[in-house]
Amino acid sequence: MQISTEELADGITKIALDGRLDIAGAAAVDLKMNVVAGSARRLLIDLQKVSFLGSMGLRSIVLPARAVHSRGGKVVLFAPDEMVESVLKTSGIDSLLPIHHDFAAAIAALQ
Amino acid sequence: MSESRLTLRSRLDELALLSPWVESLAAEHAIPASTVFAIELCLEEALSNVVRHGYRGEPDHPISVEFSARPGELAFVIEDQAPPFDPLTGDLNREAPLPASIEEFPLGGRGIRLMRRFAGSLAYEPLPSGNRLTVRFPVWP
Repeated sequence: MQISTEELADGITKIALDGRLDIAGAAAVDLKMNVVAGSARRLLIDLQKVSFLGSMGLRSIVLPARAVHSRGGKVVLFAPDEMVESVLKTSGIDSLLPIHHDFAAAIAALQ
Repeated sequence: MSESRLTLRSRLDELALLSPWVESLAAEHAIPASTVFAIELCLEEALSNVVRHGYRGEPDHPISVEFSARPGELAFVIEDQAPPFDPLTGDLNREAPLPASIEEFPLGGRGIRLMRRFAGSLAYEPLPSGNRLTVRFPVWP
């Protein structure tokens, strides 16, 4: 599981995840996710290259999102593939963290 | 009908053995990618429940997963030697309403909702000294 971060315009932080967000993958990225989320106010979590998402992986998204929300910030989930999106929707997390497949729409949702 | 069995010790890091095993079954039985995803999701969830709840985090207890394939269906039978525990009822199965905020979003308890959505069927039965959970997935020719 790889994680990379990038600062975009308008104070938006992008976290890009690459690999399987299974139990091992979640453990590999949790620390950095939470460190980055600790100071982000507008967070875009890029899920394009996430090939698997389990319930521990959901936790790896929820905890950083909570940190951002607690400071009045916003989080969007960007471009999950079909199966990953199905997990997000089944868990109901998409009602709290919007999913966008269009990058411009994702950025707009963070304004 | 072909069979295959995976035996694990009750440690979360042993669950890393699941994916390569499922991938090898997928290659042998031409299981479609979306079904492989569903299988890995359900097995990870079911086995992590056995490790964390059934065996209460104690390592070095056995868990077995037995695969079988027949026309139209794949089945995974998960057996443990933990105290009786039905993952399909009780606290883990509460169909709670969707939370109103991310602060209320539960960190646990989502797994059964996921399993019910991604598996074709789930069936629990107690064993003389353990538990058996059968997870089935439909496949189409």
